[in-house]
Amino acid sequence: MSDKYKLKDWDELELGGVIPESGNAKDYETGTWRTWRPVWKEEACVHCLTCWVLCPEDAYNLKDGQTAKGKERKEIDGINYYHCKGCGLCVKECPVNKKGVKQAIDFIREET
Amino acid sequence: MEQGMSKTRAITGNGAMAEAMRQIHPDVVAAFPITPSTQVIEDFAQFVADGQVETELITVESEHSAMSACLGASAAGGRVMTATSSNGLALMWEMLYIAASMRQPILLTLVNRAISAPINIHCDHGDSMGARDAGWIQLYAENNQEAYDNMLMAPVIAEHMNVRLPVMVCLDGFIISHAIETMQIEDDDKVRAFIGEYTPYYSLLDTEKPPTWGALGLNNYYIEYKKAQQVAMENAHTVIQDVSKQFGELFGRQYDLFESYRLEDAERVIVAINSVAGEIKEVIDELRENGEKVGLLKIRVFRPFPYSEIAQALAQAKIITVLDRSASMGAYGPLFTEIRTALYDMPSRPMVYNRTFGLGGRELFLDDIKAIFRESQEYLQAGKIQTVFDYLCVRGG
Repeated sequence: MSDKYKLKDWDELELGGVIPESGNAKDYETGTWRTWRPVWKEEACVHCLTCWVLCPEDAYNLKDGQTAKGKERKEIDGINYYHCKGCGLCVKECPVNKKGVKQAIDFIREET
Repeated sequence: MEQGMSKTRAITGNGAMAEAMRQIHPDVVAAFPITPSTQVIEDFAQFVADGQVETELITVESEHSAMSACLGASAAGGRVMTATSSNGLALMWEMLYIAASMRQPILLTLVNRAISAPINIHCDHGDSMGARDAGWIQLYAENNQEAYDNMLMAPVIAEHMNVRLPVMVCLDGFIISHAIETMQIEDDDKVRAFIGEYTPYYSLLDTEKPPTWGALGLNNYYIEYKKAQQVAMENAHTVIQDVSKQFGELFGRQYDLFESYRLEDAERVIVAINSVAGEIKEVIDELRENGEKVGLLKIRVFRPFPYSEIAQALAQAKIITVLDRSASMGAYGPLFTEIRTALYDMPSRPMVYNRTFGLGGRELFLDDIKAIFRESQEYLQAGKIQTVFDYLCVRGG
């Protein structure tokens, strides 16, 4: 475990619980909250990025990619399970899922 | 007016607190009027309207909002003040704890008034005593001068980096808040030099380095923050003494954690808070002329409570009457429990008992105080306390 995760003593804390630096949500791993797991299916994904936009934990990874016609675009590159808390918003709002023919994001019970 | 001169003025307690606020010149005041503290903010609003201060005065819709606005303004890096009484303080309850736990050095004038019901506008200490566990430093005052002086010291204590806690300056409703007394209002520049500039601690308005205030702290952190808060309160003990000493050197009026009045050789002692101390002193002077060894210990700092100093000051006493002007239903008065606790570790303990008086503004006359000393004399002679806890001046015995 890195020092970052070591619990601080009372006299090492900032006054009044202030968090002095910004952008530290990435240090808080909400993945431990998850009871249901979204599973991204690359073969069915149309890379509309709806899941990436809606994800409250910013758990969808992006990569540079191209359309079939060679136009540059951003593409989904899987899910960061350290931060995915299993809310299921992506599963519900995925336009591929909504059409009901194929599933681009499955939702399965976490193994206990 | 000569530089550095203090003015002798006849002014109400509330007027004096407004003067202190004008001199402290906070960045933000958020308040909702409530009797008997209303005039503090009325007078201050006049200072704002007249351009004597550049304070942002926020007229909110409730005391809960008042303390919430104070909290936000303080976290945003401002020096912040407010005033209230009674149910107003009760409505601030949630935010009082948060202000203290978030270590915001907010300053509050509390004009002590009974809490409903029945609806009552007069003085007792039920409001501030109920807030004694909220984490605020509590300073009490016998008269206008002490209340004003306490408020001038309040920012220096509150903003000290070993403390960084909110301060409540308490004075008795109507008896002090509305009574005109002659007192010294110190020179603005001298006061401002004593108080100094405010240094924000991780301001929310610092857009270069934006902090987060009010985050979560669960079972792996909450108790560490509480321990830090407890230590800050203990640190306040010394800081209050240091600041009071500096104040005395600058302005010539001496303050300590409490006041000892003819206490050195006193056998029978009353311990009390706020304005009633004036009457008690008068009775003591009279009884002393008859050779009676009586004295007073007047509380100034109730939080943090100076246990060991008080025990030392009461070491010579044979019997102590603790006067509580508030009730903790189903328990002894809050001052009594502290005093008896303070005395417990002494090798030989004085006798000590508790009387509740003055709830909802019920008067305690000089004759009533003489009766207290007569009773303590009887107890002392009998070597036994007949009644440990009782109400004074209540119909039906």
